[in-house]
Amino acid sequence: MTRMRHAIVPPYLLARIAAVADERYPIAADAARRSLVRDAPVREWRLRGELPPFAHDRLPSVLPDAPSSPDRRISDAQGSETLPGRLVRREGQPATGDDAVDEAYDGLGDTHRMFDRVFGRDSIDGTGMPLEATVHYGDRYDNAFWDGERMVFGDGDGEIFSGFTNSISVIGHELAHGVTERTANLRYQGQSGALNEHVSDVFGALVEQYTLGQDAGAATWLIGEGIFTDAVEGRALRSMLEPGTAYDDDVLGRDPQPAHYDDYIQTREDNGGVHLNSGIPNRAFALAATALGGFAWEHMGRIWYATLTSGRLAVDTGFHRFAGETVRAASERFGADSRETRAVREAWAAVGVAPEEV
Amino acid sequence: MDVSVSRSGGIGGLRLVWEVDLDREPDRESWEVLLHDIPWDEVPPAPPEPDRFIYRIRCEPHEATLAERQVTGPWRELVDRVRARSEPRRAASGPRRAR
Ligand SMILES: [Zn+2]
Repeated sequence: MTRMRHAIVPPYLLARIAAVADERYPIAADAARRSLVRDAPVREWRLRGELPPFAHDRLPSVLPDAPSSPDRRISDAQGSETLPGRLVRREGQPATGDDAVDEAYDGLGDTHRMFDRVFGRDSIDGTGMPLEATVHYGDRYDNAFWDGERMVFGDGDGEIFSGFTNSISVIGHELAHGVTERTANLRYQGQSGALNEHVSDVFGALVEQYTLGQDAGAATWLIGEGIFTDAVEGRALRSMLEPGTAYDDDVLGRDPQPAHYDDYIQTREDNGGVHLNSGIPNRAFALAATALGGFAWEHMGRIWYATLTSGRLAVDTGFHRFAGETVRAASERFGADSRETRAVREAWAAVGVAPEEV
Repeated sequence: MDVSVSRSGGIGGLRLVWEVDLDREPDRESWEVLLHDIPWDEVPPAPPEPDRFIYRIRCEPHEATLAERQVTGPWRELVDRVRARSEPRRAASGPRRAR
């Protein structure tokens, strides 16, 4: 993972890291300090105890190998539906040898690292709250969920689902539900519910890309790759880039996600189809990210995180308002005529959602 | 007389429906005892939780929608029994679109 250290770190970020990161990110601070020796103007800013003026707006997203400081607690429900179950691995303890326990531990660490390093958010609440998860929940339980306090993962039935901790996008998805709950708190019903789902898919996909060092073109844009057994004709639960194509199986049927607002599904089931209609904003996000290229967390991730945490989203925000807020966030960060803002506008147009003027 | 259990939601948004025709069940009487205990009209509204299952349970003329954490006591007994006695049918959550 050291391959990126020199390539993607602009000097002003090195200065910021060297200046502010000493205690929490000793590796990053040290690396930044060494790099700064060769960069006189920035070093002078640093010597005066200041950040370069252009450093304030852009949080450090660099050094994916630098650790963050999560406080993880993994419990084992041992096949019961009793929460939290028995605590089996705390922060800093070695791997247990139980795949579900260790995958949850690692996935939560990866997710914490992305939120912390890229978006400057320490854990779900932003102030380092413990990340609690329970694995081996229920008997052949085909699901993973966020219950307001913890992430819960079943083992799957073994016929269709092979367990829910072996996809980092699923772990990121669940943790992101906690972040949404603590920020925009989008109501889990209808369009705001589909946006809640969409936000979890966005950060789930980004965690996977960040951890693997994938740019937008190399990314799969799949949610839940690897959770189906080999018997299923399908790649994943959802495709953000091509909603409706993730699986087509004799038993499961065909992925029903719509990819365009014209195909929005009205239903009483699934809280108004929150896991179906999320396909529409998902495609907008993936289209803009792939049009821009590069690391999606650097541009689209920042725009979406800024939107989510702007304080401007009502709990019942619908697609058009949300789209308008993403255009606003893109304009604020990158400029109204920037290619980032244009990509966001074009992507919403491609899925039939006209951003509201906000 | 049919009892049906529809489960939607979950991180996959996959809907499953289990149905049992009581007229074909050998122990119909015990089903009726169980159904008699079901508090159809006493399900309080529950705030939705991300990715949790939602159960819609029907037995004419009754119908109730329950959050996963409300499926306890006689409800749980009924759901488990219906699931044990039938193979699930996978159903779309909305109208299927022609492609
Ligand atoms: Zn979700």
